Amino acid sequence: MVKHINAALAYKTLNGLICVYKPPRVPVRQVQHTIVTNICRDLNALPDRPQEKRVEIIGATNAPMTVKLVPNYADDPLVCGPRYTHDDFRCSWATHLGLFTSGVLLLGLNEGTRLTYQINVARPTRAYKVHGQLGKATDTYFWNGKTIERSTFNHVTRAKIDRIVAHMQSAHQKTMFELSGLHMDSQTAYDLASQGVIRPANSKLPIIYGLKCVHFEPPNFTLEVQAVNEYEKYLWTLIHDLGVQLKTSAYCTGLQCIRQGKFTLDHALLRKHWQLDHLIDNMDSCRQLIEENEQLLRPKSAHLSV
Amino acid sequence: MRSVKSFFGLNRTNLIICRNVTTKKKITIPDEEEQLPIFQYPISKSSDRRVYVWGMAETGALGIHMPGRGKRGRKSYRNDFSLVWYPMRSSFCERFDVTQIACGYGFTVAAVKTDEQHKLFGTGINTDSQIGYHAPRMGHPLELLLSPAPIYIPYKSLESKIVDLAAGRAHTVILTDNEGVYTLGNNAYGQCGRKINPNEEYRGSMVSYNIQKLGQEKIVNVCCGQDHTLFITESGKVYSCGWGADGQTGLGTYKNQAFPAPVKGDITTEKIVKVASTVDCVLALNDRGELFGWGNSEYGQVPMPSKSDQVNMSYALVQFTKGIGKIVDIAAGGSFCLIVNEQGDVFVWGFGLLGLGPNVQQSATPKQIPPALFGRNEFNPQSVVEKVACGIGHLAAVTNNGDLYTWGRNRHGCLGLGHTKDQHFPLKVSIGAHVMQVKCSVDHTVAMCKPFV
Repeated sequence: MVKHINAALAYKTLNGLICVYKPPRVPVRQVQHTIVTNICRDLNALPDRPQEKRVEIIGATNAPMTVKLVPNYADDPLVCGPRYTHDDFRCSWATHLGLFTSGVLLLGLNEGTRLTYQINVARPTRAYKVHGQLGKATDTYFWNGKTIERSTFNHVTRAKIDRIVAHMQSAHQKTMFELSGLHMDSQTAYDLASQGVIRPANSKLPIIYGLKCVHFEPPNFTLEVQAVNEYEKYLWTLIHDLGVQLKTSAYCTGLQCIRQGKFTLDHALLRKHWQLDHLIDNMDSCRQLIEENEQLLRPKSAHLSV
Repeated sequence: MRSVKSFFGLNRTNLIICRNVTTKKKITIPDEEEQLPIFQYPISKSSDRRVYVWGMAETGALGIHMPGRGKRGRKSYRNDFSLVWYPMRSSFCERFDVTQIACGYGFTVAAVKTDEQHKLFGTGINTDSQIGYHAPRMGHPLELLLSPAPIYIPYKSLESKIVDLAAGRAHTVILTDNEGVYTLGNNAYGQCGRKINPNEEYRGSMVSYNIQKLGQEKIVNVCCGQDHTLFITESGKVYSCGWGADGQTGLGTYKNQAFPAPVKGDITTEKIVKVASTVDCVLALNDRGELFGWGNSEYGQVPMPSKSDQVNMSYALVQFTKGIGKIVDIAAGGSFCLIVNEQGDVFVWGFGLLGLGPNVQQSATPKQIPPALFGRNEFNPQSVVEKVACGIGHLAAVTNNGDLYTWGRNRHGCLGLGHTKDQHFPLKVSIGAHVMQVKCSVDHTVAMCKPFV
């Protein structure tokens, strides 16, 4: 880890993408705010540039005058406030994570906001772990809602969940073709379809590419979802729909984003490490990852690759 | 770096932090949750089957009646819808335990698990009595049935079960476990396996014919083409009867055959396990997964070195399908053939909408349909095709996950994709159950499924 000796130099390196771990029940805006506040705090603690001096020329104009350098109070942090504030940072997210979702969050700082835009438009897949519980349905489809139904779930087995989940996944294949923006009768559509999965042309409708049950211990279960354009509430309803198809009821107990494009949980910076040194390190590793995977920002074709 | 800083940043901070977001559980009345009753949803048995039907409904082949609005007495049904765009659950199959289904040209027959007389039901076109004699008034037999009706067959014992069904253009073949085969319907070319009578009246006929055994052997499988019938016996011999103008009987002639006779050519020494035919081209599969064919070859379905358009004797396609590996399922359409090998790869050849894109109209050699079209991709590498079926112009494949894919000519919406446009590559049909078997006909399709839970 590089120790920065100068705030100005450290500030100049803060242009790029960072990958942080968003805790649940903390809004993305607050994560942004905390990170920028922490950066400002750490930058302000670093040795600052020398204070500007004020030149004072004293004496009568018809006589030799004396030139004096006096402290310039206009440049004093005690007068004009701390050197680095929120206004020095632009910060944007690549894709929004809902309030109750935890996991990988990509944020762009200053020049990096452009990268987040490019990642957003390139529409990489995101992987989620969606935890659910059988036997109960709530009005919000999530644990924070009011219970509206209870039902038995003794008949649910791993095999049944697997079968329904596989069916739900393949049902999304048709949506994939419809949202690719191509005419179904064209040769282009056939060429793309025969290569494999296609990215959607717009950002409106969610598409699920992969769906599998990774943990089943009644009444709790966990699904691993690979999707594009999904949002928090959509994943909650997914659990609810699964419950209905299983002839019982289910609600979502937790959501975790485990991957965004090539950024996995290993890259994500925990809340305790949201400090200047760690963030700059993280930014470096993110830059490396982007350089290695050119298609992450500028995909060549509509074919989707992880 | 700007030296003059603004203080607005702090104000914005307050705005964000003080925003009111609930991350707490909603406060409810205590014990309310405990007081809720625990509901039990009905769960299906493992033997339960669901049958989905779609395509042309005007012929009555789907057996679907929509109750009309208002009170119109006993006839309060309307049948003014001509197509079923999407797979629709057949209510007949909810009431009975359907074991076997066959689709003919505009009619459907279904076998029901029962020990009573009425083991077989039929619906649809009945111009040649292919679904039995149904006359609400004496001497006025129905030529069209809009909902399933029982078919009378003179079983020797009511304990015998129907093990296989097949239907052609206008005849039905019923295979029972120990009474042999019963045939119904048109016999103009001998497809019912009995003597051809040129003056026979098929409309309103009550004739059914029983074939006990063929060559002293039990019949284990039946298959119908357009106007011919194929039988497989216990030792894997294939017998055929019916129309032979394109050589589809495989008897070395182009004449019609009234009584089933063993197919000649390369398959005489093989043990055949499956034959497939929809129109006039026949494919056969032996126990080692090798392919044989005969019948019409206008579009190169059964390519012979002599390039003949009609193959009247079975011909081994082992050289033709070299490199494909062991074949597990076959289907023959009107102008194309479809096979699937052990690895779950689908191959197609012939002429028409083969599923190889809009630019490929014809293929002389077996061409693989990209497995990605059947849902095999990096997120789901285990998906393989297990069964295939063909109508005259449309094709269907069932994967190991129980997903049904259809493509080809979309005559009267028989693809079940919600429109009547032709489909140039396999697309999944939205069925809310695990598809086990699919039967295709000219303009309607039937899928036998198992409920998920």
